[in-house]
Amino acid sequence: MESHIGKIGHSDYVVIIGCGRLGANLANTLSEQDGNVLVIDKDREAFRKLSPSFGGLTIVGDATDFDVLEEDAQMSKANVVVAVTDNDNINIIIAQIAHEVFKIRKVIARLYDPERECVYREFGIDTICPATLSAKEIERILSKRNADDVYEEVEK
Amino acid sequence: MKTQVLLIGGRNKAKSLAISLIQSGYHVTVINDTYEDCLKLAETDKLMVINGDGTKPFVLEDAGANDVDIAIAMTSKDEDNLVICELCKKRFHVKKTVALVTDPKKTDFFYKMGIDSVVCAITAITGIIEQQAFIDKMATLVPISEGRVSIAEVPITGNASVVGKKLWEINLPKDVIIGCILRGDTTMIPRGDTRILAGDMLVLISSDKQEMAAIRELTDGR
Repeated sequence: MESHIGKIGHSDYVVIIGCGRLGANLANTLSEQDGNVLVIDKDREAFRKLSPSFGGLTIVGDATDFDVLEEDAQMSKANVVVAVTDNDNINIIIAQIAHEVFKIRKVIARLYDPERECVYREFGIDTICPATLSAKEIERILSKRNADDVYEEVEK
Repeated sequence: MKTQVLLIGGRNKAKSLAISLIQSGYHVTVINDTYEDCLKLAETDKLMVINGDGTKPFVLEDAGANDVDIAIAMTSKDEDNLVICELCKKRFHVKKTVALVTDPKKTDFFYKMGIDSVVCAITAITGIIEQQAFIDKMATLVPISEGRVSIAEVPITGNASVVGKKLWEINLPKDVIIGCILRGDTTMIPRGDTRILAGDMLVLISSDKQEMAAIRELTDGR
């Protein structure tokens, strides 16, 4: 499965850590758009979620291990790093390693717990929190419905 | 007010460290995420135990992290220890944070992320094993300042060639001094003309990794 990254062309090189539903989905989308994608997961089985037409690379390994990141993943060449494993603390340490050690400017980490978010914003790491996003979306749907109700009442 | 110490994670390590800190007069709180471990920890007198995940801000808050002087993260996961120390530092303004790391390659990275003290168990243990293998239980070594300086306790046996010699007659490496001689019940700070006797216990202070050479000189290479 492992091959050389040197083949990759001129566009952005995106490293995704964690091949769960979100990671795999993102990898498939970027691959379809002809992006250079590398996915790392500690479980080989996780790569089943990638679509058959996925054209990126996969590495089985521990992405908190400097050797895996440096030699196998060629992390220093990455433009974007996305940490989306199912463990907040692992996402945090990977994001910080990417940002501080490999000097990658665009680093995104998923955090399930929004309480930790404030600490990482100042490190220059973008965080996304599913709970907060869902809450906002639900609020948006509800407010839209309320607006529709008002509209309907006006119609009457 | 007593110095407040917060220990996060670690089973037996946390317990023995907590006991030793309480004896030294610190106020100690332990956070552990396993209920059974908490029960065991709670057997300790004067120890406050909190059951919860120490990487969560509200658990740290419950443990009084706002008033803590020293936080020590000793879970088995490096990423958890990093997050604990960063939360303690950034959110609760703990003065000193200490993290245990399993992976020696992460030590520098942890320092870079602002953790005050990083302890790598593997490096420490391999260091001790190396010393033990070389000096064959003849001397005890205490490394300080990350091993740049060490204090060694060297017993002098009756047949050692240095017995009866004055200190200035012994060919010690340049970066080593004999700081103290323990003779029976007395402790003496030696001078150049102090004679070494059989049964003496010498306390060496050495820098620049010269302790092994000095110990070999004093114990005839054993």
